[in-house]
Amino acid sequence: MPVCNFWMQGRCRYGDKCWNEHPKAGGGGYGGEYNSRPPQQSNRGGGGGFGNRVWVNPAQRSGGGNYVQPSSFSSQQGGNNWGPGGGGGGRDSQAQSSNFSFAASSPNQNRFSALNTQSSFDKGGRGEGEDNEKHLETIQKDMEIWETSGQWLFSCYSVLKATISGFTELSPEELRLEYYNTKPSGDLQGYANVINQLVNQWRSRVQELRAMSGNTRVAMLAELDNPAPQAASGGFGSTPVTGFGSSAPSGFGTGFGVPAQVPVQDTSGASNFSFAGPGAASAALGSAASAVPPAPTGIGSMATTVPSAAGFSFATSAANKETTTAGFGAPASASGFSFASTVAGGGGAFGGSGFGSAAPVAASGFGQASGGFGVMAPADSLFTPHSQLSEEELKEFGGKRFTLGQIPLKPPPVNMLVV
Amino acid sequence: MSLFGTSTGFGAGGFGAATTDTHNPMKDVEVTSPPDDSISCLAFSPPAMPGNFLIGGSWANDVRCWEVQDNGQTVPKAQQMHTGPVLDVCWSEDGSKVFTASCDKTAKMWDLNSNQAIQIAQHDAPIRTVHWIKAPNYNCIMTGSWDKTLKFWDTRSPNPMMSLQLPERCYCADVVYPMAVVASAERGLIVYQLENQPSEFRRIDSPLKHQVTGFTYQHRCIAIFKDKQNKPAGFALGSIEGRVAIHYINPPNPAKDNFTFKCHRSNGTNTTTPQDIYAVNAISFHPVHGTLATVGSDGRFSFWDKDARTKLKTSEQLDQPITACSFNNNGNIFAYASSYDWSKGHEYYNPQKKNYIFLRNATEELKPRNKK
Repeated sequence: MPVCNFWMQGRCRYGDKCWNEHPKAGGGGYGGEYNSRPPQQSNRGGGGGFGNRVWVNPAQRSGGGNYVQPSSFSSQQGGNNWGPGGGGGGRDSQAQSSNFSFAASSPNQNRFSALNTQSSFDKGGRGEGEDNEKHLETIQKDMEIWETSGQWLFSCYSVLKATISGFTELSPEELRLEYYNTKPSGDLQGYANVINQLVNQWRSRVQELRAMSGNTRVAMLAELDNPAPQAASGGFGSTPVTGFGSSAPSGFGTGFGVPAQVPVQDTSGASNFSFAGPGAASAALGSAASAVPPAPTGIGSMATTVPSAAGFSFATSAANKETTTAGFGAPASASGFSFASTVAGGGGAFGGSGFGSAAPVAASGFGQASGGFGVMAPADSLFTPHSQLSEEELKEFGGKRFTLGQIPLKPPPVNMLVV
Repeated sequence: MSLFGTSTGFGAGGFGAATTDTHNPMKDVEVTSPPDDSISCLAFSPPAMPGNFLIGGSWANDVRCWEVQDNGQTVPKAQQMHTGPVLDVCWSEDGSKVFTASCDKTAKMWDLNSNQAIQIAQHDAPIRTVHWIKAPNYNCIMTGSWDKTLKFWDTRSPNPMMSLQLPERCYCADVVYPMAVVASAERGLIVYQLENQPSEFRRIDSPLKHQVTGFTYQHRCIAIFKDKQNKPAGFALGSIEGRVAIHYINPPNPAKDNFTFKCHRSNGTNTTTPQDIYAVNAISFHPVHGTLATVGSDGRFSFWDKDARTKLKTSEQLDQPITACSFNNNGNIFAYASSYDWSKGHEYYNPQKKNYIFLRNATEELKPRNKK
């Protein structure tokens, strides 16, 4: 006779009438009176053992006066016992949830296989699910250490092969150079503001990962299973556009970090941060900021393709091509406008609501500085010279607003930027 | 300001009045006329040149040359300027030229005999690393830049001989013919082989992983080491997270031979109390013993024996981070620079604070432990 699994957990409702074996040892002290109703006919057969007996969800039983419920489960509603708690996710909230973990029932695992499909956290293979669980715990611990250790904030972070999204990577030299370049213009406050913003973004991302809420958990598990490929040099170019059609998860409106829809190209965000072209980028920012601040839905959804940190103004390189373009796309767009595909990546750069307020300051600071080094070498990828733009495109840039359907795909020329 | 967290280390009151002599707790020889801003790189002259000459590049846009005499005296010899902070320097193998890489996106060749410097390289972004390559069939300069390219230059031509794409901004590099290794942002790590012409040999998944969990942080510095036959065998890679990875290119047993160790942390290996974690700013290998030195943001330097996997020595804590280090060509002198490395942001930057380069006798302390 197979061993009754519920008995092992102290929850068998058939008591002596149970068709399975109730070993005396290790059964827990629940061998008292139980309801002796005949089994219900719900189809929870699972595998083996039960035959055509099924387990009745305690929530479905009526009354239950004689049912001795172990105190450890008293706080749970019936259904929850086999909900997410059954997967790995139960760990964080229920001290007793280990009773439900499949480890305890490994010989009878197939009995509960039907439950696997229910749990949103299972990956269809328990081993992998548990590894990912370990990774999530690791992430939480690492975040804790990172917050208190005083180590360099602007670093990438990874658990498996690919880096975790939402972290800006900057070397101290890059930040320092930025400071030195800003000093002549005197607008160190602008620099400090941008740094502050980066730090806040980092902090919120770290805390988010540390708390590992449900949303974050899902996002992290998705990332761990679908690692982003190493950042291509033109990170934005191949960012999937599909993220736009789908509704942005609520997480986007608020904090930046839930890149559930950003399975790929997360690492591209970091490539935005090289400081080489602050003047150019800030000019782009200036124009975006002076336009209507992006509506959360329209632009917020763009954040799906770009990690929040990418909102930083020091973006440059080819990735900026799209950034700048989107910046100019923004003013014309009402909320919910779906941008053209090439504009996809960049818009997210301006997605953060907090960003809009800082942008003018930063823009002005670097706008002035741009005089000194605005036309840097990457300018050819950030801006298009007049000669390369068609008449229509020039007209679009020159106009007050973009015309829907005729928004240029190339970035504007330097001198057409209005800060 | 608590922008960067609570870590103190040396920060709070250390600036300015140094009544207690924590600027040189190791009582090492001070180099005279140090640069006016943080020192980013140090390089000693190669064996082909008699005597010891030290080159140091700094954030004051200058490159300085000192002669280091046998009695420890240092004599400033010459200086060159860039239009931006200097990030890396290196010597040609015959000791007649010095190459300098700068944030002004150029690299220059400085002829010491004539004291003339000409530009020999150009990038689209600051050049982070410069190395001289001497191959049997070619000589060239290798420059790694934040524009994500690695370029090779014949000093006589304004156009690069070759340009290779990097996955991300170049953060550090090292060359020991016929091997070159480059570490970039986003944990990129590529090994190149330089025979005939430079080509990519292998992209390595960053070895800086926690054994169990596999997390890594930003790469910061790298140095190639050689085996007993004096051939490059692997490299040491340092990160911002107080950790160094020793990685062999073709080890007989990778799982056993490659390892990482923690360093430049405030509590040593005690993991119960929260540690302060500091970046490893530079790594240098002793040219004779094969032992290595690491310098960190915590203001300490440490010597290690990677074969015996032990620490040989850790210094007292200086009142500033140590930003660069170098051994001279016979391993008698260890030079290290004490200046701010921006590890805590701009608030902790004090332009008035003096920067130092110290010289230490390295003959004894870097001898390996008993090797089996």
